[in-house]
Amino acid sequence: MGMRKVAVIGAGMTKFVRRAQETPKELSWEAARMALESCELTMDDIQAVCMGTAPDAFDGVHMKGEYLSDGAGAWRKPYLRAFVGGGTGVFTPIQGWYHVASGLFDVVLLVCEEKMSSFYPHAQAAFVTIFDHTTERPLKPNLLWIFAIEMNRYMTAYGINKKDIARVAVQHKQNAANHPCAMLGEADITVDDVLNSEVLAWPVQRLDVSPVSDGAVAIILAAEHVARRLTSKPVWIEGVGWNLDTAYWTNRDLAYPRYVEYAARQAYEMAGIQEPRKEIHIAEPYDPFDYKVLHHLEGLGLAERGKAVDLYLNGTAAPDGDMPVCPSGGLLGVGNPIAAAGLMKIAELFWQLRGEAGARQVPGSPKKGIAQAWGDLMQVGTVVIMGR
Amino acid sequence: MTLLEHTKNAPQAWSGNLPVTSRYTYGLAGERFFRAMKDEGKIMGSYCPKCDHTYVPATVFCERCLGELSEWVDVGLVGELHTFTVLFVDCDGNPLEEPELVGLITFGDGGIIHRLEADPDELEIGMPMEAVLKPKAKRKGSILDIEGFRAVSK
Ligand SMILES: [Zn+2]
Repeated sequence: MGMRKVAVIGAGMTKFVRRAQETPKELSWEAARMALESCELTMDDIQAVCMGTAPDAFDGVHMKGEYLSDGAGAWRKPYLRAFVGGGTGVFTPIQGWYHVASGLFDVVLLVCEEKMSSFYPHAQAAFVTIFDHTTERPLKPNLLWIFAIEMNRYMTAYGINKKDIARVAVQHKQNAANHPCAMLGEADITVDDVLNSEVLAWPVQRLDVSPVSDGAVAIILAAEHVARRLTSKPVWIEGVGWNLDTAYWTNRDLAYPRYVEYAARQAYEMAGIQEPRKEIHIAEPYDPFDYKVLHHLEGLGLAERGKAVDLYLNGTAAPDGDMPVCPSGGLLGVGNPIAAAGLMKIAELFWQLRGEAGARQVPGSPKKGIAQAWGDLMQVGTVVIMGR
Repeated sequence: MTLLEHTKNAPQAWSGNLPVTSRYTYGLAGERFFRAMKDEGKIMGSYCPKCDHTYVPATVFCERCLGELSEWVDVGLVGELHTFTVLFVDCDGNPLEEPELVGLITFGDGGIIHRLEADPDELEIGMPMEAVLKPKAKRKGSILDIEGFRAVSK
């Protein structure tokens, strides 16, 4: 379609922590700096900057794209903040991709940051104002409602039990034990630990949920001619897709994320992928809650509807399985600084496909991976396919 | 670790807030929807003939074709329990004294999120549930004119 090839050539990531000393812009700067150093570039080489960050309420600064701009390296450069809620971390690389694919820029820096610990006493309350002011807010809704009723619907529609779903949380937290930036890696966690954790909003329990976190991730994109000069191991962005369903949660299919399917179809078509289950070697679906991984794997076409949990029960999703799912440890294990957590998935594919994922490296020299995030009013899907 | 537990060696912090107060209108659809609820005790939907889709609560436009919706329909007070949750913590992470029930009741192709007046053990997804309206004199034109939903009495 007349687009240029775009590669990821560098990545950087801060530790994900419960309460960072750094300000949000300092976190952005740390990640940006690491990404530059990883491919030996300086700000003189960067032509434009894309910033991804979720609701302003988290960092407690209205228009925080502007607030974060200096830490992200935006000084005297074209700069734009993308925001599609939780989907932001995988949308920002899509935005960066069209900056480069279009021919406008050759080298672009992408930074995603979130500091959720500023919101007091708990970041969940930051979401109270996302609901409709007339039909929902008088009920004093909270975010857990959405996940709890969706999880219940998903379990009911397909007859899936909590014990099996807990395997997702266990697997991801175990994977995260090998991630140097993780806050909740636990090599010895068990299904019983998940099932015995505090009930927040049935069927959602404490260990079904990713933690509130602070952190930042940055990557650098380059056009093909630049990428080939700078690295012998470029990782290409081969497909992108994004899609939005109705914002009325009452009008959506709560058991199946159609918007993820549509986003994935767009990305598969662009990447020339016809049989995702055979052609995708690593998946990093969005996992703020354990059941959401299953939802998303089904939307991505990587499992039949209602059957994604089998990938965990039969070992396919394990790091040494046929299609490792969230070898990073995901949001459930590494942490969930919203936008940063999504971009972490892109960074993970970058490291895995280059064979640089250290103790987390999956075997078999994977060639293609898919990353996906979900957000806005719980109805946006963002998908990126990467390959080498 | 509970929701509100913070680490002891957390960095120093100071407090501030973002003071925002809003005054919302009901909108074109909301004005009519809430008047019908207040004055007539009805839940109204709006129908798009082109997309064969019924919006509940009623809207003045169809998000699928952006057509204007003029066919309003009374969808009754009984809908279907599509899914529900039992809440044990509030939005600040504090434990609730009594667990609360919240459900999605479908009407037409949409539905209403509301509190359920029920025993969690008697709830079954797919069961019919009925809106309990406040007495007319106490209704103010708010979603809280519905006190909640309960099982349809047999
Ligand atoms: Zn229509």
